[in-house]
Amino acid sequence: MKSGWLVFLFKRVLEAITTLFVIATLTFLLLRILPGGPFDSEKALPEEIKASIEARYGLDKPVSQQYVDYLTGLVQGDWGESYKYLGRSVTDIILETLPVSAELGIYSLLLALVIGIPLGVIAAAKHNSFFDTAAMLVAISGVALPSFVVGPILVMFFSFGIPFAFLHGSLPPALWDGWEYMILPVLTLGIRPAAIYARMTRGTVLEAIKQDYVRTARAKGVSERVVLFRHVLRNSLIPVLTITGPLVAGLLSGSFIIEVIFAIPGIGKHLVSSVSNRDYPLVLGLTLLYSSLLVISNLIVDIFYSIVDPRIRMEK
Amino acid sequence: MRISGWIVGLLVVAGLLASVSCTSRSSGIEIKTADGRELKIKAEEVLRINITSEPPTLDWNKATDTTSSHVIDNIMEGLVQYNLADKELAPIPALATEWKASEKARVWTFKLRNDVKWTDGVAFQGQQVIDGWRRLLSKETASEYAYFLFAVKNAKAFNEGKVPWEQVGVKLEGDGGLRVELEKPMGYFPNLLTHTSTFPIRKDLIEKYGDSKWTEAGNMVTLGAYKLAVWQHDKEILLEANESYFGGVPPTKYVHAQMIVEQATAINLFDAGKLDAVDGIPSTELKTQRARKQYRSIGVLQLYYYGMNVKKAPTDNVHVRRALAQAIDRQKLVKLLDGGEIPMTGWVPSGMFGYFADVGLEFNLEKAKADLAKAGYGEGGKPLPKIELHFNTNENHQRIAEAVQAQLKENLGINVELKNEEWKTYLAKVKTDPPSLFRFGWLADYPDPDNFMNLMTSYSENNRTRWGDPRYDRLIEQAAGETDRDKRREIYRQANQIMLTEGVPVIPVLTSVAHLLVADRVEGFPVNAMRKFQYKAVRVK
Repeated sequence: MKSGWLVFLFKRVLEAITTLFVIATLTFLLLRILPGGPFDSEKALPEEIKASIEARYGLDKPVSQQYVDYLTGLVQGDWGESYKYLGRSVTDIILETLPVSAELGIYSLLLALVIGIPLGVIAAAKHNSFFDTAAMLVAISGVALPSFVVGPILVMFFSFGIPFAFLHGSLPPALWDGWEYMILPVLTLGIRPAAIYARMTRGTVLEAIKQDYVRTARAKGVSERVVLFRHVLRNSLIPVLTITGPLVAGLLSGSFIIEVIFAIPGIGKHLVSSVSNRDYPLVLGLTLLYSSLLVISNLIVDIFYSIVDPRIRMEK
Repeated sequence: MRISGWIVGLLVVAGLLASVSCTSRSSGIEIKTADGRELKIKAEEVLRINITSEPPTLDWNKATDTTSSHVIDNIMEGLVQYNLADKELAPIPALATEWKASEKARVWTFKLRNDVKWTDGVAFQGQQVIDGWRRLLSKETASEYAYFLFAVKNAKAFNEGKVPWEQVGVKLEGDGGLRVELEKPMGYFPNLLTHTSTFPIRKDLIEKYGDSKWTEAGNMVTLGAYKLAVWQHDKEILLEANESYFGGVPPTKYVHAQMIVEQATAINLFDAGKLDAVDGIPSTELKTQRARKQYRSIGVLQLYYYGMNVKKAPTDNVHVRRALAQAIDRQKLVKLLDGGEIPMTGWVPSGMFGYFADVGLEFNLEKAKADLAKAGYGEGGKPLPKIELHFNTNENHQRIAEAVQAQLKENLGINVELKNEEWKTYLAKVKTDPPSLFRFGWLADYPDPDNFMNLMTSYSENNRTRWGDPRYDRLIEQAAGETDRDKRREIYRQANQIMLTEGVPVIPVLTSVAHLLVADRVEGFPVNAMRKFQYKAVRVK
C-alpha cells in the first residue's frame, strides 16, 4: 500500500518536472521568435550603445548559448534580472508581488467555496423551485459578467453610492491598505468561481441524488441534511475538485484586470506587461511560476481524488 | 419570517459598511520608513500623487522613462534647470551658478555652488559631476542615454573603449569650476545638463551598496528638495522634505506617490479624496472632466506625425508625398480628438523656441490634386495603388488613422488600408522595413529645437523614413553651433522648408495636450510643457 503511494507520487513528480522543462524551453523559443527586442523603444539607440546593453545581459551570445545559460541559472536557482526593472531580480519581483496576489486569491477562493458549493447543493435539493431558478440566474450572470464590468459596478455602488446614496463612501474604490480595501476586489474576483462552483455542484448533486444509496439512506430515516451533506456531497465533489486545480493556480497568480482596476500591487500586471516589454527573464520566471502552481495544484487535486475515491489510484 | 430575515441581514451588512466608512475616511497616511520610523502623516502635510507605475529605476544614469524622472526630478538636481515660468523654458542656474561659452560655443565653463550638501551631510563637489558623466559614458554601465554626452570631446570614443577617460573633454577648473570641451560648437549645451542622466553621482555610495541596491530607500543619498523615505516596490513611494536643501525647505513636508496604472481608477481615487492630482484623463471622460474646476491642461512638447518611406512605392515619389501631406486636414483631426491639441505643419512643437506656424504644407485640396497628377496618378492618370497606413495599437491612434483614411479617400480617392500592431512588433517593423505611411511621435528630452530637428538628419537612428539631404544636415549642424538666437531661428526656418516642402518625408499632424485634475487644496501644482513634476513649490491646505 505504502509503496503504491510512493510510486504514484514519484511518477507524478517526474511528469511535473518534464512538463515544466518543456514549458521553459517553449517559452524561451517563443520569446526569441517574437518580433521586437527588450531594448527597442520609440527613441532608437545608437548601435554601439545597443551593443553594450545587449552584452551586459548576454544577448550578444548565440541563442543556443543563451538557452544553456538560462537552464544552468534555473537549476542553480538564479532566475535572472529583469530587463525593465533595473537591478531587481525576477525572484525579488515574485517574492514582493506574489504574496499580495495570493492573499487576494485565497480570500476569493474561500468566498467562492463558501458561497458556491452550499448554493449549488441547496439549488439541487430544491430542484425547480424559485430558489433554484434565482440561484442559477445569479450563477449564470456571475459566469457571464466579466470582472471589468463587475468591478466598476461594485465601486459605483459602494464607493460612490450610485444609486444607493446611503452606501456612499462605504468602501474605498481602490488601493490595498487594509481589510476594507480587500472587500471589493475579493468580491469581484470571487464571484465568477463561486458561480462556476454553484453550477457544477448543482449538476453533480442532482446526478448523485438519484442514486440507489441515497434512496436507501432516506429509507433508513437519515435526515435530509445528513443525506445531502454527508452522502451526496462527498460523491459529487470529484468534478468540483477537477476545476479547483486550475482555479487555484489562476487565483493565486493574480488577475491582471482586477489588479489594474483596484490598483493592487500584485503579480498579475507583470504577467501581461512583461510580455509587452519583452522582459525575457521576467516572462520566463512568471510562466514557470504559473505552470508550477498549475502542476502542483493539479497534483494535489489528484491526491485528493485518490482520498475521495481510492479506485482512481488503483487504476493509475 | 424569511423576508424579514433577509432584511435584517441586509441591514447588518449596511451597518457594517457604514462603520467601515467612518474608520477609513481619514485622509492622512500611516507608514513605516526605510530607517524604521513609524510616521503618522496629517493630510495637510502631504501631497498625494499618482506616478502610474513602478519606476524601472531611480538610478539617474540609467533612467530613460517619465515615471523614473518624475521621482528623480524631486530628489536630485543638475547643474542647470529650466525656468518653468519662462514661455520658452530657458535654462537657469541650479548646481551651477553661472556658465560661459568660449571658442564659438565649443568650450563651456561652469561655476559651481559651494553651499550644497547631500542628505548625508557630505559636501557637493565638481568631481561628483565628473564621476556621474564617467559612469554614464562607461560601457560597463550600459546606459541607454550615454549618447546624451556624445557632444563632449572624445566621449563617444571613450564609450566605445577607444580612448582612456583622461582624454574626455571635461576637467575641474580653478576654484569650484568645470571646463567642458566639445567635439564641435553647440550653443544649447547647457540645455543638455537639465537632463537627469547628467546629474552628479556619489561613487562611494555605489561602491558601498552595489550597482543595483544604492537606489533603495535607506541607502539612497541625494541633494534635491526631497529625499527618498519609502520605496515599497510596485506599491508606493514616500518622499520627505530635505531639511538641508540649498534652495530652501519645501513647504509641503511629504509627497506620497501611488502606482496606479488605470486612469479611471486614479480619477475614482481623486473623487474619493485619496489623491490630490491625476495626470491623464481617458478620452472618453474628457468632456465630463473638462467641466470641473479642478481640470487643468497644457500643450506639451510632443510631436505626433506620420512618416513616409521615401524608398518604397508609391511614397518614393515626392509628388505623392506632397499630395498626401496637403490632403490631410489637421484641423478636422484636432476637432475629432477634442482635447485641445494644436494642429501642426512645422516640425518643432508649439511652445518651444524654433516653432513656426507658417512652415510646411498646409491642407490644400487643389494643390494636393495637382501634385498627385504630376506623379501620374488621380484624375486623368492611373489610379494610385492602395497605401497601407501602419500604427501601433492604441485607441487614439486608431481614431486618427480612421479619419485620415476617410479624408484621403474623400479628397483624393486614395484607398488606404489600416494596419495596427502591438508596440514592440511595430517598432521592429518600422525599423527593418518601414511602411509607406506610418505613425510616430517624439517627446522632447530637453526644450531645444535641436532635439527635434536632429531627428531627421541623414545619420539619425530616429529618422525611419530613409530620407536624407546634405543641405539639411549642414543647416542642423550650423544651427547647433549658433549662439545668436535670431540667426539660429532663421536657420531652422530654412531647414524646415527643405524637409517639409521639398523633401516631405514626414507629415507633422499635431502637438499633444496633457490633461490633469488638481485638488482644490493644492496650490502651485506644476503644469508645464515639459511635464516636469517638481513639487518643491507646492503647498497643500
